[in-house]
Amino acid sequence: MNNQVTLWPWLSLFLIPAVLSHAAETERSLDFVNDVSPIITKESCNTGACHAKAGNGQNGFKLSVLGFEPQEDYEHIVKEGRGRRVFAAAPEESLLLLKGANIVPHGGGKKLDPNSENYRVILNWLRQGAVYQRENAPVLQSIEVTPSRNSMKVRTEQQLKVRALYSDGSTRDVTSLALYEPNDKSMAESDEAGLVKILDIPGNVAIMVRYQGKSGVYSASIPLGAPVENLPPTRNFIDQFVFSNLKLIGVPPSPVCDDPTFLRRVTLDIAGRLPTTEEANNFLTSKAPDKRDRLIDSLLDTPDYADYFANKWSALLKNKRDEATDITANFAFHSWVRDSLLANKPYDQIVRQILGATGNVIENPPVAWYKRVKEPQQQLEDIAQLFLGVRMQCVQCHHHPFEKWSQADYYSLAAFFSRVGRKTTATPGEDIIYHKRGLAQAENKKTRLQIKPAGLGGPTLEIPASEDPRLQLADWMSNKANPFFAKALVNRYWKHFFKRALVEPEDDMRDTNPPTNPELLDALANAFIESGYDLKALIRVIAHSQTYQLSAMPNQFNAIDRQNYSHYYPKHLSAEVLLDAVDQFTGSRTDFPDLPNGVRAIALPDNSYNRTSTFLKVFGRPEGASACECERSQSSTLAQSLHLMNGPDVRQKLAANAGLAETLAKSSKPVSENIRALYLTAFAREPRAEESQIAQAHLEKPRSDATGAPLDPLRSKRQGYEDLLWSLMNTKEFLYNH
Amino acid sequence: MSLRFTTCGLLTAGSLVLSPTLHAQDVVLPAPRLLTILPMGGQIGTSFDATISGNYIEDAYALLFSQSGVVAKPKLGTDGKPVLNKFTVSISPETPVGIYEARVASRLGVSSSRAFSVGKVPEITRDKPNTTLATALELPINSVCNAVLTKKSIDYYTIRANAGTRLAIDCAATGIDSKLTPVLIVADQNGKDLAVNRSSGFLDFTVPAEGTYVLKTHSLTFQGGPEQFYRLAVSEISADAPIPRQPCTRKVSSFSWNPEDKQTLPAIDEVEASTEKTAPQPITLPCQINGSFAQATDVDTYQFEAKKGEIWWIEVVSERLGLPTDPFVLIQRVKKTGSKEELIDVLELNDIPAAIPPSTNTGNGYIGPPYDAGSSDILGKLEIKEDGIFRLQIRDLLGGTRSDPANIYKLIIRKAAPDFSLVAWPMHMDLRNQDRSVVPKPIALRTGNTMAFEVTALRKDGFDGAIELGVENLPPGISASAIKIPAGKSVGTLLITASAEAKRTLGTASIFGRALINNTEIRHSCRLASVIWPIRDGARETPSTRLVDDALISVGGAEDAAVSIAPAEDKVWEAKVGSQLTIPLKVIWRGEFTGAFKMKPFASSLLTGSELNVPLKAEAVNAVLDLAAMKTAPGDYTLAYFGSAVSKHRHNPESAKLAEQADKTAEEALRLATASAKELAEAAQTAPPETKAEAEKTAQTAIQTQKDAEAIKLQTAKGLKSANEAALPKDIADIVVTEPIRISIKPADSK
Repeated sequence: MNNQVTLWPWLSLFLIPAVLSHAAETERSLDFVNDVSPIITKESCNTGACHAKAGNGQNGFKLSVLGFEPQEDYEHIVKEGRGRRVFAAAPEESLLLLKGANIVPHGGGKKLDPNSENYRVILNWLRQGAVYQRENAPVLQSIEVTPSRNSMKVRTEQQLKVRALYSDGSTRDVTSLALYEPNDKSMAESDEAGLVKILDIPGNVAIMVRYQGKSGVYSASIPLGAPVENLPPTRNFIDQFVFSNLKLIGVPPSPVCDDPTFLRRVTLDIAGRLPTTEEANNFLTSKAPDKRDRLIDSLLDTPDYADYFANKWSALLKNKRDEATDITANFAFHSWVRDSLLANKPYDQIVRQILGATGNVIENPPVAWYKRVKEPQQQLEDIAQLFLGVRMQCVQCHHHPFEKWSQADYYSLAAFFSRVGRKTTATPGEDIIYHKRGLAQAENKKTRLQIKPAGLGGPTLEIPASEDPRLQLADWMSNKANPFFAKALVNRYWKHFFKRALVEPEDDMRDTNPPTNPELLDALANAFIESGYDLKALIRVIAHSQTYQLSAMPNQFNAIDRQNYSHYYPKHLSAEVLLDAVDQFTGSRTDFPDLPNGVRAIALPDNSYNRTSTFLKVFGRPEGASACECERSQSSTLAQSLHLMNGPDVRQKLAANAGLAETLAKSSKPVSENIRALYLTAFAREPRAEESQIAQAHLEKPRSDATGAPLDPLRSKRQGYEDLLWSLMNTKEFLYNH
Repeated sequence: MSLRFTTCGLLTAGSLVLSPTLHAQDVVLPAPRLLTILPMGGQIGTSFDATISGNYIEDAYALLFSQSGVVAKPKLGTDGKPVLNKFTVSISPETPVGIYEARVASRLGVSSSRAFSVGKVPEITRDKPNTTLATALELPINSVCNAVLTKKSIDYYTIRANAGTRLAIDCAATGIDSKLTPVLIVADQNGKDLAVNRSSGFLDFTVPAEGTYVLKTHSLTFQGGPEQFYRLAVSEISADAPIPRQPCTRKVSSFSWNPEDKQTLPAIDEVEASTEKTAPQPITLPCQINGSFAQATDVDTYQFEAKKGEIWWIEVVSERLGLPTDPFVLIQRVKKTGSKEELIDVLELNDIPAAIPPSTNTGNGYIGPPYDAGSSDILGKLEIKEDGIFRLQIRDLLGGTRSDPANIYKLIIRKAAPDFSLVAWPMHMDLRNQDRSVVPKPIALRTGNTMAFEVTALRKDGFDGAIELGVENLPPGISASAIKIPAGKSVGTLLITASAEAKRTLGTASIFGRALINNTEIRHSCRLASVIWPIRDGARETPSTRLVDDALISVGGAEDAAVSIAPAEDKVWEAKVGSQLTIPLKVIWRGEFTGAFKMKPFASSLLTGSELNVPLKAEAVNAVLDLAAMKTAPGDYTLAYFGSAVSKHRHNPESAKLAEQADKTAEEALRLATASAKELAEAAQTAPPETKAEAEKTAQTAIQTQKDAEAIKLQTAKGLKSANEAALPKDIADIVVTEPIRISIKPADSK
């Protein structure tokens, strides 16, 4: 039916005169594709919550999501509903209008005002004969948003204009029909007419503009306009891009943090643990001018680094224990990730070995990923989200609502996984994975056409039957020109260190969700590629930067900044890191099933330990159920606070035999030294005079038991130290990396 | 093979070691199983003590080895009596390096086997914990350490080596029957990991600087306990030396490839292509090629000419060498049009299927034997349809991302050489609903018992004829019979029977198959396979299997079969084609059964029969064969029936009696010791000063004797309790097999 005139044949005989007469009254001929469908979309009739709901739509009236299938929508409106949705003899009596205007009660409320332009367009379209598409009708090519980028002061407004560009060169103002959505609602709002209101926060904000499957973006740079002076000297390109952005928007950075703060911060971020008292002493007393760089190098050289980042990747790679027999696969895969990181295997090689995994889980542990992620659809979706930073889930059923990706793109990616062969083994759920010779292709579930493999935005590949298409996908990914692969990783790692990714969420990178600092993202990606996908080099360059080393304490201007890295954004310690920190601080130990005593929480191989450790569960350790970092709980909860204050395991740790409280109580060292050791362990800093004083007074306070009888001195001291440990542990300074 | 063993007296106070598996016996009658031996091997020319453990080996009277150079005698204590579960093993200087079977002989017969290694370098047995860096055990280079892992622990060793020394660090585990999946880590003295292997138990490590290095080993999943044993070998090798590995047992799939078979075909070495575009390596058929899947995505291409009508057989051996490979062969014809070359697919070859599909562990209950006689290697036929140039590509389907030159293959392209290989294993079957236990089944027959074995053949190069099965060198009182592998089929049945009069015996027999191939009788030995560990729940733990070296067959002599079913007369039962044959069977009941049971004939396309109902306590039943319905052709046949039945079983009641006797003796000894101690203590109190010291000393000695007697009494009481519990009657389901029935079908009378 493409590009053909569609009339209602059964009405045409007696309607033509009427149509003609009405047509004469309108300025132009209307059709469904270019005139009616945009209104339906604008009025949100075809969202997933309304008539585009999966299944049968809403009350039997089904529309495609955001109007991506206009042909189907036309059929549903014009030919279904026993002909009541459109009523040719009396177009005003069409259910489409009566419901839309809520004249007949409509669950979705009033969408069309009978006096509105949109109502008139639909009415006229009905009067003209409800044409699907006019003959030789121009086809929408793209939209143009003006302005596309500018600088805006806080609390100002900008009206956007949106022009639709058609195949015949014609244009049309579709400002009133386009949809607008800011990528950061705390920075900007937009109304239905395209009026953008800039709020109070400086930085960069983007408004995604959509019209009939085409999208555009308006980016606003919002300067604070404060004087930016005394910038720290730049250490590398990160500082150049961050500081030049700060200058541009007039947000002065905080100063570089002091040594104790840096030591604690970088140790937590790279090694996932607190610095030891010995490390703190050594670092703080060192006079070496490059001691920060040396510290970064030494941390990257420890197994702690590999443990910490393997913990991150294991959950994303769904290393999940559902059955007892999963233990071998999970331990093997986790260890493989850890060993790869420890050996600093290039990232593209790690990904290649996962993508192209063959064999069994012991011989080749990345095969475990195929145990968890079984179907080609799942595989492509996880790979796209994890390694390309692109979310393809919705494209299986319809065109991506915010992106250029179509179902053809989706199945092109799926085709890479179409030759994954499986041979059953004697272990439940575990297969031997191999490349099954044959033509790589995937069936588009909608069109039933066979689609050949192609990288996102890349050419269709002719892969010989004997070659494993997954390796071609790996080749495409690690090609230097790949626009996604390196960016997705550096964005993910940037977030690890800075709390906020350059593109948020970190795995939803698209034209309509631009980075807050595009030049920086490009530079990071290029540096990563040029380093040979060296993960340690990437971490090194991030941690070396002055930007990373800025203080978390805001100045009078930058407290409001949330995305320009003018100061370090404090972040919660994750569940595992916090548990290890509590163990380290209290001198206790958490023992886990099937692992040697002393293995730390950041080195746990899979999610099964969440079942045995209430602590890890309460603090939101992920279950490895999705490829999204968002599975890890990002928020603080009341349960967390209560657990840390009163949890039985925490109480046990405070009072552990041979724990720190008991050790200090028995120690012959002066109390002030003990207090110093406590502060060094908890915060990697010396106690302030006032803190020391308060702590000492508390420790020396006489104590009595429940009956009022005085406690013996040792027990009293021990209780005092337990109180002190408890207090320090429950401070924000302890619970956050700052 | 001559078996060398030394008998010793009955060892008392038997303990059922590794008791968690005991529960699994609810579905199989007790059978002796040797589960561990420590050390797991020894140096040629040495003698050392070994400790054993297992199931139902409490009265083991001999430790036996499949290699005559290895012998054992019971270890004697200071009192001159055998020490429980300890033997002194001696390895003669002439013993070849290798891996052999160790078994024990017990009241129930010979046990299942455990691998035992014999090597050239000195051996040590770790005798105290080394689970911390501080307690690390120094391991001399060119030695082997025998050790057992502790759960949730890491074993630490130290090695001293000079800069540039190339060390081959090899942890034998699954290859010597251990359940361990080993992890090897070499670290510097500060604990920093320098090299790690988590998959193959091997590290090739060149020492960067002179010093002490830490070698850590643990289970991939930090399991521990007696089943997690290993032999850690550290050897110095030259820079260009091939990687040495310790000998290991062979997978079941390797039954169809004998590495010692000499191939007479011209041998060619693969020329490793420098790039993917390198021209194919020309070969002339027939040939055998030694190649390697050295590089990731390695594709080796060979080109040959062939004429229309030629038939070539292609065999690839790689997985059957014990390698983690999955070879794939593609044959294409080269079609040239001018300068343009087109490749047309002719044949793909992949995998050798198992004649009996193995259990895949995906369902509930028994769904197939745990043995996989199939292989990911290749055996197939290439028929040339037209003259031309052909290309053969060989690749490893599992080699997409790994590069390991040790993954070698042998590609043989030959004219048809029809042949066969055989492997047999004790029959497993569904004994109870949802039961997923899998246990090793030693050939330890009860008197009057028949044991069934499934036999599968891999037919080669078009051989399609019948294969007769037989057993030679059977010990006295034991007979064997077989349901042959019919022409065109690959499965047969072997039956081994201990007569009702059989006495305790054991001996190594030879199982074989023979067939007429091109009018010549070809005979091959049939390998035996065994499950390695008793597994209570196959869904939670995957059973492992392997080939065993020999067929050691025994009658325990201590127990009778609970029921024996045999033809009423020992004769060949004759019948005419199309008739009905009724064979009376006599049933001898020795045990207590819970009810009647049914038996099915072993499947055979030539002669089957309907189910046989065996009513409880019936002394005779009839097997009725409708030869007309079965359309059985004239010929000689063997028939047997099998089924499962539940009987009451008491384990080793004699042991309970002995334990009771021992307990009574200990009690009496204690009573006497107590009385004596009391008397002497009183005497000491009243003794005159000049003898008081002496009297007190005597009294003290008596008190010590009393304490010793108390300890012995405690031990005997424990032993009695344990023996009594074991001897309580238990319902146990097991396989019941009739003795073979020999049948001769004659042609019908001509009219």
